[in-house]
Amino acid sequence: MDARFRRFLALLVAFALLATMAIGCAGTDDTTDDTDTGDGAAEVDFSVAMITDVGGLGDKSFNDGVYAGLENARDDLGVEIRAVESNEIADYEPNIDQVASAGYNMIFTVGFLMTDTTIKKAPEYEDVYFVGIDQFIEEPADNTVGVLFKEHEGAYLAGVVAGLATLDPDLDDRINDDNVIGFVGGMDIPPVEKFQAGFIAGARSVNPDVQVISLYTGDFDDPAKGKEMALSAIDQGADIVFAAAGLSGAGGVPAAQERGALFIGVDQDQYLTIPGSGDVMLTSSMKLLDVAAYDLIKSAVDGAFPGGSIVEFGLAEGGVALAPFHDFEDKISQEILDAIAKAEQDILSGAITVPASRAEL
Amino acid sequence: MLSDILSPDVFAAAMRIATPLALAAIGGTICERAGVVNIALEGMMLFGAFVGVIAVTYAGNPWVGVFAAAAAGASLALMHAFASVTLKTDQVVSGTAINILAGGLTGFFMEVIIGHPGTTDPVPRLVPVFDFPVPSAGFFAPMWRWIDVIFLSHTPIVYGTILFAIVAHWALFHTRWGLRLRALGEHPRAADTVGISVVRGRYSAVLFSGVLAGLAGANLTLEQVGSFTEGMTNGRGFIALAANIFGRWTPGGSYGAALLFGFAEALQTKLQLLRDVITIPSQFFLMLPYVLTVVVLAGVVGRAVAPAAVGKPYEKG
Repeated sequence: MDARFRRFLALLVAFALLATMAIGCAGTDDTTDDTDTGDGAAEVDFSVAMITDVGGLGDKSFNDGVYAGLENARDDLGVEIRAVESNEIADYEPNIDQVASAGYNMIFTVGFLMTDTTIKKAPEYEDVYFVGIDQFIEEPADNTVGVLFKEHEGAYLAGVVAGLATLDPDLDDRINDDNVIGFVGGMDIPPVEKFQAGFIAGARSVNPDVQVISLYTGDFDDPAKGKEMALSAIDQGADIVFAAAGLSGAGGVPAAQERGALFIGVDQDQYLTIPGSGDVMLTSSMKLLDVAAYDLIKSAVDGAFPGGSIVEFGLAEGGVALAPFHDFEDKISQEILDAIAKAEQDILSGAITVPASRAEL
Repeated sequence: MLSDILSPDVFAAAMRIATPLALAAIGGTICERAGVVNIALEGMMLFGAFVGVIAVTYAGNPWVGVFAAAAAGASLALMHAFASVTLKTDQVVSGTAINILAGGLTGFFMEVIIGHPGTTDPVPRLVPVFDFPVPSAGFFAPMWRWIDVIFLSHTPIVYGTILFAIVAHWALFHTRWGLRLRALGEHPRAADTVGISVVRGRYSAVLFSGVLAGLAGANLTLEQVGSFTEGMTNGRGFIALAANIFGRWTPGGSYGAALLFGFAEALQTKLQLLRDVITIPSQFFLMLPYVLTVVVLAGVVGRAVAPAAVGKPYEKG
C-alpha cells in the first residue's frame, strides 16, 4: 500500500516538474514564424535570436528595447527572429547553445552580466555573428561585436533637467525647498554607474550645490526594494528621483506617487511603458537599444558586420536621448529647454566630456 | 549625518520591510510546530502576490485581492499537505517542487491573462489606515511626527501582522489548540494516542501557513508596489524560513527576527549615503542586513532547537 503511494508520489512530482518546465518553455520561447510581413519586406534567409538577461522580456527596459529592434528588423528586412529568456545566470550558456545549434545566423547576448559567456561561446560557433549588448569585450573575436552605450551622455541631459527643476517651484507644487535629488541604481555595474555619473555631472553643471542621494538596490527585479530606496531618498528631501534599476526602479513610480515627488525613467520612454505613471514621469533617459540592434542586424544582412570591434552608441549616433516630457510639456520652463539644447550641443561638439564613472566626477 | 540616518522613516521602513517576512515566518512557525517543514513559503508568497493582482484587475477592489491571495496561498498549501501528510513524501522535495511550480504558473498566466511577460499594469492599492493631520508647529510637533511616521503611517496588513504575531504567540503557548499543535510536532504518536488526529491537525497547520504566505504576497503587490512582477518575492520566503528559526519557532520571535532584518535593510539604505564621504563598494552595504542579522541573533538568541518530529511523516500504528 505504502509502496504504491510512494510510487504514485514520485510520478506526481516528476509530472509537476515536467509540467513546470513545459509551461516555462511555452511562456518564454517567443518564436516568430511570420516572416512574410507584407509589402516592402523582402524575404531574406537570415535568422536572429536574442538571449535575454535575467530580467527577461517585459522588463520595460533593456531586454524589451533589444527585442523592439529585432521586431523592426523582422518587419523591414524580413529576417526571422526569436527571443529566449534566461531565468538565472546559469541559463546563459545552455540558451546560447540551444539557438546556435538550431542554426540561427546571429545571436544577441543582452546585458553586461553575459560578457564572459559571450567571450567563451563565440569562438565555439564561428559561423554565427555574436552581438554583446552592454559588453566591453577586449579583443573581440572576428564574429563578435561588443556594443556599448554612452549612457552617461543621456543621463547628463536628465541631470540637467533634474538639477534645474528642483530649483523651480513653478514647475510643479511637488518641488520642495530642498536642493536635493535622488538616484536609484540596480546592480553596481559599469552601465549603471555611467547613468549615475552622467546624472550627477549634468545636475551639477547647472546647479553646483545640488545634493544627489545615490542608492543601489543590488538587483533588477525587486520593485518593492526599489520602492523603499526611492522612499528613502524622497524622505531625505529629494523631489525628483531618477531610477536606473530595471524593474526594481519601476517601484520608484508608486513611491513618487505616494510621497508627492517626480520621477525620471530609464532605458525606454517609461511614460509609455509603465501605465499610470504619467502624473509623476518628468522624462526618461533613453537608451535606444532598438536603434543599435536594428543597425547591427542591417549591417549583417548587408554583409558589412563590423566583427571584431566595439561599437559605441552615444548622443551623436542616436544611441541615447532624452524622452519627451509628455504631461509636463507645458510646464517645463524655457530655461530648462535652453540648458538641454546647450548641453546637447556641447556634448556633440566635444566641448564637454561627460564623466562615465564616479571616479571621473 | 546621524539625524539623516536615524530618522523616523528608518523605523517605518523597517516595519514595512518586515511585514511580508514576518507573515511568512509565522506561517512557517505554525507549520513546523505541527511537524511539517514548509520550504514552499516563497512559492506560496509569489502565487498569492500574483493572484491578488489578477483578482483586483477584475474586481477593482483591493480587499478582494487580499482574500484571493490568501486563497491562492492556501491552494498551493493544500498540495503541500497532500504530498507531505497524506502521501508521506519528503517535505523538502514537495516544497521545492511547489516553488518551481509557482514560478512557472505565474509566468505562464502572465502571458495568458495579461498578454505580456514582466510586470502587470498597476491596480488600486490598499491605503494607509490612519490619516491624521500633522501639526506643523508647537512643542509636540517633532514628537508627533515621529509617532505618526513610525506607528500611524501604515497599511492594514502591516498592522494585521502585528496582531497575528501576538494572537498566534498567545494561542500557541496558552491554549489547548496550541498544546495539541505542538504535540503534533514533538511527539505525534503521543498525540495520536490521546485521540488527536495527526492528519487533520497537520493539514490545518499547513493550510494556515499557506494563507499567511499568500497574505505576505498581497502585502507586496497590493500594499507596497501595486503591480506584480515575475519573481518579485526575490527570496523573501527563504529569509522568512530563517526568521522562523532565529525566532526559535515562536510567532513572537519570528516577528522580532523579521523586524530586525527589516531594520538592518532600512539602515543600509541610509548608510549608503556614507559613500559620498568615503569610497566603499555598494555591495558592502547590501550585505549588511544579512551579516547584522546573523551576528545579532547568533549572539543574543543562542542555540535554537527544532520541534522533535519536524520533517518526519507520521506512520500510524
